[in-house]
Amino acid sequence: MFVARSIAADHKDLIHDVSYDFHGRRMATCSSDQSVKVWDKSESGEWLCTASWKTHSGSVWRVTWAHPEFGQVLASCSFDRTAAVWEEIVGESNDKQRGLSHWIKRTTLVDSRTSVTDVKFAPKHMGLMLTTCSADGVVRIYEAPDVMNLSQWSLQHEISCKLSCSCISWNPSSSRAHPSMFAVGSDDSNIASGGKVQIYEYNENTRKYGKVETLMTVTDAVHDIAFAPNLGRSFHVLAIATKDVRIFKLAPMRKESSSTGPSKFEVQIVAQFDNHNSQVWRVSWNITSTLLASSGDDGCVRLWKGKKLVHLQQEHRRLPSVGNRLQCSDRFLIFLRWVHD
Amino acid sequence: MEKMSRVTTALSSNTISGKTMFCHLDAPANAISVCRDASQVVVAGRNIFKIYTIEEEQFVEKLNLRVGRKPSLNFSCADVMWHQMEENLLATAATNGAVVTWNLGKPSRNKQDQLFTEHKRTVNKVCFHPTEVYMLLSGSQDGLMKCFDLRKKESVSTFSGQSESVRDVQFSMKDFTFAASFENGNVQLWDIRRPDRYERMFTAHTGPVFCCDWHPDDRGWLATGGRDKMVKVWDMTTNRAKEIYCVQTIASVARVKWRPEKRFHLATCSMMVDHNIYVWDIRRPFIPFATFEEHKDVTTGIVWRHQHDPYFLLSGSKDSTLYQHMFKDATRPVDKANPEGLCFGLMGDLAFAAKESLINSDTNRKPYPGGDRRNPLFFFKKTDPTEQFAHVSSALTIYQTGLDSNNMDWFVSTAQRYLLTGKPFAELCDHNAKVARELKRPQVSTTWTMLRIMFSDPANLPAAGLNHSLSKLGSLPLMNSFSLKEMGSGLASESRLERGKGDSRQDNIHLETGNSHISNNNEENEETEGSDGPAECMFGDAELDDDDLYSMDHENQAEEQEYTLPQEGFQLRHEIVDNPSAPEHFQQDKADSPHVSGNEAEVPCLTPIESFSLISISQPLFTHHLPASFFCPIVREMLSYYAEQGDVQMAVSVLIVLGEKIRREIDDLTQEHWYMSYIDMLQRFELWNVSNEVIKLSTCSAITCLNQTSTTLHINCSNCKRPMSSKGWMCDRCHQCASICAVCHHVVKGLFVWCQGCSHGGHLEHIMNWLKSSAHCPAGCGHMCEYT
Repeated sequence: MFVARSIAADHKDLIHDVSYDFHGRRMATCSSDQSVKVWDKSESGEWLCTASWKTHSGSVWRVTWAHPEFGQVLASCSFDRTAAVWEEIVGESNDKQRGLSHWIKRTTLVDSRTSVTDVKFAPKHMGLMLTTCSADGVVRIYEAPDVMNLSQWSLQHEISCKLSCSCISWNPSSSRAHPSMFAVGSDDSNIASGGKVQIYEYNENTRKYGKVETLMTVTDAVHDIAFAPNLGRSFHVLAIATKDVRIFKLAPMRKESSSTGPSKFEVQIVAQFDNHNSQVWRVSWNITSTLLASSGDDGCVRLWKGKKLVHLQQEHRRLPSVGNRLQCSDRFLIFLRWVHD
Repeated sequence: MEKMSRVTTALSSNTISGKTMFCHLDAPANAISVCRDASQVVVAGRNIFKIYTIEEEQFVEKLNLRVGRKPSLNFSCADVMWHQMEENLLATAATNGAVVTWNLGKPSRNKQDQLFTEHKRTVNKVCFHPTEVYMLLSGSQDGLMKCFDLRKKESVSTFSGQSESVRDVQFSMKDFTFAASFENGNVQLWDIRRPDRYERMFTAHTGPVFCCDWHPDDRGWLATGGRDKMVKVWDMTTNRAKEIYCVQTIASVARVKWRPEKRFHLATCSMMVDHNIYVWDIRRPFIPFATFEEHKDVTTGIVWRHQHDPYFLLSGSKDSTLYQHMFKDATRPVDKANPEGLCFGLMGDLAFAAKESLINSDTNRKPYPGGDRRNPLFFFKKTDPTEQFAHVSSALTIYQTGLDSNNMDWFVSTAQRYLLTGKPFAELCDHNAKVARELKRPQVSTTWTMLRIMFSDPANLPAAGLNHSLSKLGSLPLMNSFSLKEMGSGLASESRLERGKGDSRQDNIHLETGNSHISNNNEENEETEGSDGPAECMFGDAELDDDDLYSMDHENQAEEQEYTLPQEGFQLRHEIVDNPSAPEHFQQDKADSPHVSGNEAEVPCLTPIESFSLISISQPLFTHHLPASFFCPIVREMLSYYAEQGDVQMAVSVLIVLGEKIRREIDDLTQEHWYMSYIDMLQRFELWNVSNEVIKLSTCSAITCLNQTSTTLHINCSNCKRPMSSKGWMCDRCHQCASICAVCHHVVKGLFVWCQGCSHGGHLEHIMNWLKSSAHCPAGCGHMCEYT
């Protein structure tokens, strides 16, 4: 089913994030060793490190790619309280011969007073926008007014979420029926401080982002959050990594076109899996949003298969450990499916 | 508290007790120092000079040394140090350049003992010798260090660093050497008995070295911190100072203090920006071991409360507070740090990076402690084996999908092979159905076939349908015998119709079992499994066409035999046979559509099929000349269904193929949304041609304009380099044709490729051929052409 290919990443400390680019040909990793590495897939399918450079003076928590329309652009965020935007420079032919590319820092965003825990580019249709969230609970939205000039970013919005933020995800829907929307997760471990996932939506009238929903049932620390690719759906699907994996469906309620208040959502929990039996650190959707991958403290990657994004019914199917085939220790994958009844 | 001074083990936390606490000072602190028995702390600043006793629950002000109505500048301290042997003796470095000693044993209110005013500028640091009672060292902004004998009125020796200002001086633990750090980045090592020349000097940092600290266990390790945000640990036992560890912090390092009893730990605080105190394990230099985040302004002084106790740290700050930090209350950044990264690639491959200990051994798997990660047990587990903190790395693995499943090849093939326009509707549907079938997507295939039936103009059918039927006559009996065999004797014809709405639930269950059969013997494509649902719904919604569907299938019967999935469809039929509710539904169905019955003769083409078919009841339903609009609601529902399932490809393809037949049924916004999503997908897979075709074929204005932007190209004449006029092949100025192929010298019409460096180019094929043999420009301009 899956063929595991081990890569000698050679980071000096923990790798905190891996990120594929838009076309799936390049990959970026970031680590506590303050560096980011870029990997390119060769014709033969090997991943080669084509760039590795020191990006920050603290742990680099996240790295993310911009839409290729804006060039080969990466953003990173760090414990050192900054986020940075990097662009690959082409043309240095002697670098190319050595199989290396050159990335230069276009800007450093220094507005945060605490660790910047996540950085994400907004969906392409919104233009070149970058969002950061920080440990002191502030979400900042930057915009590059001139997409050709990556060194100029203006701070458009500053949204206080009250809770220490750990992750952020944009709703990728490009429909005009869906105002731009993002979800923020908090790693605040105090159950009493309420729902740890907040959803914000842009309001055309006030020209501000306002909170439209708090998922009150998620009270444990949230480590990762991911909207599923929208693909023409009328509703949104949100995966949350907390002490378990949860999947929420957010269906916008019909409203009169004249009303301008914030959208209302019918929030429904679609699935909840505690098979990791430990903290879940990451969730990631495949491109068609039919598969959700999650990883937790148990060291396993689990795949969850959506049948119909409405109801669920669990059914286990444990696959033989890929580790046997690939001498990769005890890693194994479990397929679970949520099935429409 | 006296007993504490005797404690020499790391377990002294049993004897020193307390909690995280703080008190407000009247003014910002510049430096703090504790007395030997860890019971009192002195806080010194520009406007403060006080002694506090450290009690169990609070700090209690014991003595204000800043006396007099108008205290002199001698009271304004840059640094303070409490003598570690003489418990009444303090020294301060004054901002006016004075070095002052204070004797707490004095009966008068003013405890000032001696005053040395030998430095010209601010004194940055004072330091008592750890064993020689009367020896005091000072380092000043004027670049000099002075050694004082407290029994004398003047300094006994002056050391000139010949560098810039002195920021820190520190006696080595045992002998008579001391280290001095300078603003120009140097560190010097002096022997106190040789004031003429330093023993050793090396450049430790770029920019000022603000602080240094000897390792308390006398290893000859010296830690230095500088404005370059680094903490470096030097091994001074070798001939040349050797950097053995380097910690990168996020702001300039103002103070560094080794943690008692912990060989690899040190605490730092910063001079600006960052108000936190960090404790680092130097073996893991990238992430702090622990952080104290209480201060609201720059931390100016840190000191471990007792020289053998690693769990209590005192700090003073510009925010006018004095804190006692308990180590167990520290935040641990590494606990919050994500040990894993996970990302799905475009083709369904999965990149996974995880801490090696998580994936290598089961022993390290710690059960999730009931929601509370901060229980005491957890704390002790974390602190005791400090080794656990060091040498951490991650393993990076890519899980690539095999060719069979989860892979996105089906999407690419489908996108490339579907025909969306250019042929009669029925052929498009047939073609697409075939493509879907070949990609093992029976439901999608079935949908296409059904669409064809629903929307084909009956007038056209005789031509197309009859021919097909007749030409395939040979295969029809095969179909029938197959069906008969499969269906068994008890199957009545109406059982086909009962696959109605009411039973969709039941159907799904059957489907599940059917699926698991299949997936046992061939590695079932997850994707097709996922789309089994849609097919079921389709049957439910469109029961009218159910049987016609099968009659149309005859055409491809021969091909279908190769696949397993169509058989699945037949298997299903059996299982439904037993359904007792079938007749009812049959009745309902009939009742629902009485108006469509009894028109067999209208479509003559189907009679041959009928004669072979087992189904006679459904025949009227099909043969009736139903208006296409009759199906629109069903199709609309179906399209929405596909879209909600995430198969926007199907939704858009059908939308385009059906064109006007369905367009009005679906609101523009939704259509636009589907188009946008599909185009985005296509572009991800770099299917630019398909994407452009979809854009061209769409009817949404917002979509069609997508490929209308940036379509103007301003070009210069390749001859005279001047801008070309608005139209034509000829350059207005030099009257030459602008786009001449550099290889064949003919005018290029169609694809013209040129080098952006020298602007020469020509026919794509010619240039490609040329570049195979030469890297230089074919025009002979000498440029090394680059094409990307």
